[in-house]
Amino acid sequence: MYQLERQDIQGIISFGYGNLDAAAYALLHIQNASLTKHWLSNLVDQVQTGQERPSERGLNIAFTYEGLAALGLPESALTTFPTEFQEGMTEPNRSRVLGDHQGSENDPQTWLWGGPNSQTVHILLLLFAKNDAQLDEFYSALESQFATNGVELIRKLETKILKDDDEGLREHFGFRDAISQPSIEGLHRAKSPNHLIKAGEFILGYPNEYNLLTESPRVQPDFDPQNLLPPGEFGSHDLGRNGSYLVFRQLSQNVEAFWRFLDTTTRNTDGSSQPQARLKLAAKMVGRWPSGTSLVQSPEQDDPTVPDQNDFVYHHSDAQGLRCPVGAHIRRTNPRDSLGPAPGTERSIAVNKTHRLLRRGRTYGEPISASFDPDAILNSPNPEGERGIHFICINANISRQFEFVQHTWINNPKFNGLYQETDPLMGDRQPGELGKTDRFTEPATPIRHCVKELPQFVTVRGGAYFFLPGIKAIRYLASLS
Amino acid sequence: MTHQETFTVIAPIKLDQVDDLRAVLETIQRNVRHNDLIPFTRFPQVHFARFVILEAVIDPLRNTTIPASLAFSSCIDAPLKDYLQSLVKIAGSGLDQVFSHCESYPPPPQRTVSSRLAYLRKHSVKSQAFYVNTIGRTVQQIRQEADLRDKIEHFLDQYQQDHNQTHNSADATAVRRAIQEFVRREPALSWALRPAPSPSLLWRIREKLHFLGGLVVILLLGLVFLPFAPIFVAILRWKEETDPHPQQNPNFRLSQFHRLHLAQDEDFFSQNQFSVVGFIKPGWFRYGTLRVILWLINFAARHIFNNGDLGTVPLLKLSGVDTIHFANWIVIDRGRRELFISNYDGSLEDYMNDFINKVAWGLNLAFSHGVDYPKTRWLVKGGARDEQIYKAVLRKYQIRTQVWYPAYPDLSAINISNNAQIRAGLFQPLDTTATQAWLSRL
Repeated sequence: MYQLERQDIQGIISFGYGNLDAAAYALLHIQNASLTKHWLSNLVDQVQTGQERPSERGLNIAFTYEGLAALGLPESALTTFPTEFQEGMTEPNRSRVLGDHQGSENDPQTWLWGGPNSQTVHILLLLFAKNDAQLDEFYSALESQFATNGVELIRKLETKILKDDDEGLREHFGFRDAISQPSIEGLHRAKSPNHLIKAGEFILGYPNEYNLLTESPRVQPDFDPQNLLPPGEFGSHDLGRNGSYLVFRQLSQNVEAFWRFLDTTTRNTDGSSQPQARLKLAAKMVGRWPSGTSLVQSPEQDDPTVPDQNDFVYHHSDAQGLRCPVGAHIRRTNPRDSLGPAPGTERSIAVNKTHRLLRRGRTYGEPISASFDPDAILNSPNPEGERGIHFICINANISRQFEFVQHTWINNPKFNGLYQETDPLMGDRQPGELGKTDRFTEPATPIRHCVKELPQFVTVRGGAYFFLPGIKAIRYLASLS
Repeated sequence: MTHQETFTVIAPIKLDQVDDLRAVLETIQRNVRHNDLIPFTRFPQVHFARFVILEAVIDPLRNTTIPASLAFSSCIDAPLKDYLQSLVKIAGSGLDQVFSHCESYPPPPQRTVSSRLAYLRKHSVKSQAFYVNTIGRTVQQIRQEADLRDKIEHFLDQYQQDHNQTHNSADATAVRRAIQEFVRREPALSWALRPAPSPSLLWRIREKLHFLGGLVVILLLGLVFLPFAPIFVAILRWKEETDPHPQQNPNFRLSQFHRLHLAQDEDFFSQNQFSVVGFIKPGWFRYGTLRVILWLINFAARHIFNNGDLGTVPLLKLSGVDTIHFANWIVIDRGRRELFISNYDGSLEDYMNDFINKVAWGLNLAFSHGVDYPKTRWLVKGGARDEQIYKAVLRKYQIRTQVWYPAYPDLSAINISNNAQIRAGLFQPLDTTATQAWLSRL
C-alpha cells in the first residue's frame, strides 16, 4: 500500500471545497515570463495543498501547454507530455472527437476563451472563499499583482452556487448535481467499493486501475540543477508526480429551451401543459429526479427519502432501461455495470473504473427561477444573461478518461446498442456526416417511446486542457531560467 | 446464402511516382462513394474497400530497401469473379489511373478488360487470416434490414401518435400484429415476409467437413508437436525475455508518435478504419509460430467466431468484442512484414481500450511476433496489458488509409445484428415473453 503525498498534491484533487461557497477562476496570459516566475515562487506558498481542508480560502493553479512553454520549460520536457495535452482541446481533429464540430454551436471559433480567436490561455487560477465578500477581497488582492508580475487577465469566470432547500447542490435545469463522485483510494472514504478508484486514475505517480503508472512528464537532470523534482524513470526527474490534468469546459445551458421543449412535447391534444408528464420526461432524460434520486431507485415518481442516491447499479434491476433509459444522461456518463465485458459483474465495473472523472466544476449565472420550478421558468419573461456550468474534471489520462467519456459515451449515437441519439441533456446535435442524432428513446412496454427533434440544450463557450502540477513541480516551474 | 470473401492486391509503386499516386487516391477519397475513377457505390457487393500506400522502408535485418507498394483490399460478398469483372468494366480507366503508377501495369495500348483482370489477379495476395463479423450477411441484406427497421420505427411513431392515450395499455401481441400488418401492406418490404436465406445443405456439409478435418489436423499435429512442446516453450520464454521491447526505451511514449496525420482520416462516422504494418521479429521461430497462429485464427474466425463476436469463450470466461466488421491479416514481403487492416466501430481510443480490456490475450497471440510489441509472457500474458505502451506501439505502426469506402457507415455491428434479429423474429411464432423481447429490439 502506498502513501499519498498529500502535502505535494493540490487541494482541488482532495477536496471539492464544499464549505467554500464562493469561487472564481482567472484565465491569465503571460507577458513577461521572468516576472511571472518570480511571482509564482511567492504564490506557491499560498497554493492550497491536499493536506487539510481549508476553512477560509483556497487557491489552486494550473497551466496549459502554451503556458508551460511560455515559462521556459525546455522542449525535451514539453515533448514528454501526452499528445492530447500538447495539441490542446481545440486541435481540429480533436474537436470532431469532442463534438465541437466546425460550423456548429460548439465550434471553438466562437468560444469566449480558449479558442483560436481569443488570447492564448497560459495560467488558470482557481480561487475559493467562504463567501462573496471574502472572495472579492481575495481576488482583488491577487488581481492587483497581475500587471506588475507580467500577467494579463484574459477573463475572470464567476461562479454562483445553486442550492435547494436541503442545502443540496443543483444545476440550472433544476436537478441535484454532484451525487456520484469517485473516491480516491488512500484519500477518501467510499461508501461502496464500486466507487473506490485507484489514486493513479487521478494523480500521477501512483498505480492506476490497470495497476500501472500513467506516463508522467519528465525533465532531464541537467534542467533541474537544484534537484527540486523527485527522481523519475530512466534517470530523469519527475515533473508529473502528484500532479494531474484538469479539463475545463464552459458549458452554457439553455434552461428555457430545455423546459420549453419538454412542455411542448408532453402537451395534451388540447394544447394544455401536463406538468407531471413534463417532469417525468425530464427525469427520463437525466436519469434522476430533481431531488437526485435515481430512476432505478424510484422509477415512477420522485422520492427524496432514498438514503443513498448513489447506491445502485443497472444490470440486474434494469438491463433494458425500462426505469432509467439506456441513453439517459447519467447512464451514459457513468454506465456502472451496464457495459461489457459481462454486464452486471465485477468485470464490467472494473472497466468502468478506468473511465471515471473527478468533477470539480461549479455553476455560474443567475437561475431563472430560484425554486427551479418549470412553470416559473416557462413564464419568466425573457430571461437575461447566460447560465451554465464551469465544468472542471480531473484525470490522469485525458484520452482514456475525459475524451473517452465525451466521445464514446456522451456523444456516441451507437452507445450501448442505440442508433441515432446523443446525450439528451448535453449531447451535440450536429455531428457532421454521422447523420441525425436528435432522438431520445425511452424503453417501455409494450413498445419504446421515442422523442424526436431534440434541440441542443448545452453549448460549449470555452475550454482548455491544463496541467495541475504538484507543489514541488510548481516550485520547479517558478525556478526555470 | 452468400458467404464473404476478401481480395487484396499489392503492387510495387514505380520509383518517384508515390506522390502522383497519392494525388490520384486523394481525388478518389474526396468523393469516395460516387467519384469518376472508382465509384464504389456501383459495386453492390462491396462491404468495405481501401487503398493503402505502404511507404518504402529499410529492412533492418537485411539492410535492404523494401520499395513502396500499393495495397488495394476489398471485403465483398461472393462470388469474387463477379466483383472483379464489374471492377474492370465499370472502373477500368480508374484502375488505369491508379495502377499505371505501379510496376508492370499494362501500357495504354494493351489495357483491356482481360489485361486489367490478369494484372489484378497476378498481384493478388492471400489473407492468412480473415475475420467476418457474421458470415452470410450480405450488403443487400444489411441495407434491407436497416430499411425495414427504419420503416417499422416510423410506423411505430405514427401508431403511437394515433393511439396516444392508450399506447401503454396496448398489449404486446396487438402491437406486433399491427407491425406485421404494416409490413405485409408495404410493397417495398415484400422481401421481409420471408426469413433471410439460410446456408444451403451443401454449404453446411462442406463447412462441417472443413471444421472436422481441421480439428483432426490440429489434433494430429498437436500430438506430433507434444513431445517438442517443452523445447518450444523454453525457446519461447527465452525469446520473450531476451527480445528487445519498447518498455526499455525511454523515448517510447504515446506523445512521440504524431497522431495528426492519422487523426485527419478518423472519426467522421461511427465506423472507422485501421491499417497497420510492421516487421516480424527475425528468425524462423517467430515466423513459424506466427504462421501457425494466423492459421488457427483463420480457422476459429471461420468456424467459431463467425456470428457477431470475436473472442468470446464461455468455458474460459473470456468476453470478446462485438465492434469489428471485417479484419485481414496478410503476411507480405516474403515473410518479413505483416499488414493488418480492420473496419471497426467507435474511435481508436475506444477500439484500443476494448481490446486491452477484453481480448489482450488475443492481441498478444496475433501480434506479439511483431517488432516493438510490448513484452509478453507465455505468449498470452503481459503484452497489450501494458496499456499505454501498447497504445504507443499501435500508433507507431499505424499508417494512413488513403482511400476508405464503408458501404453502410451509419450502422454499427450491433445495429446490424439487432436489425437482423428484428427481421428474423418478424413472422416467427412467438410466445408472450418472446414477443415482448422482440418488441424491445425496436
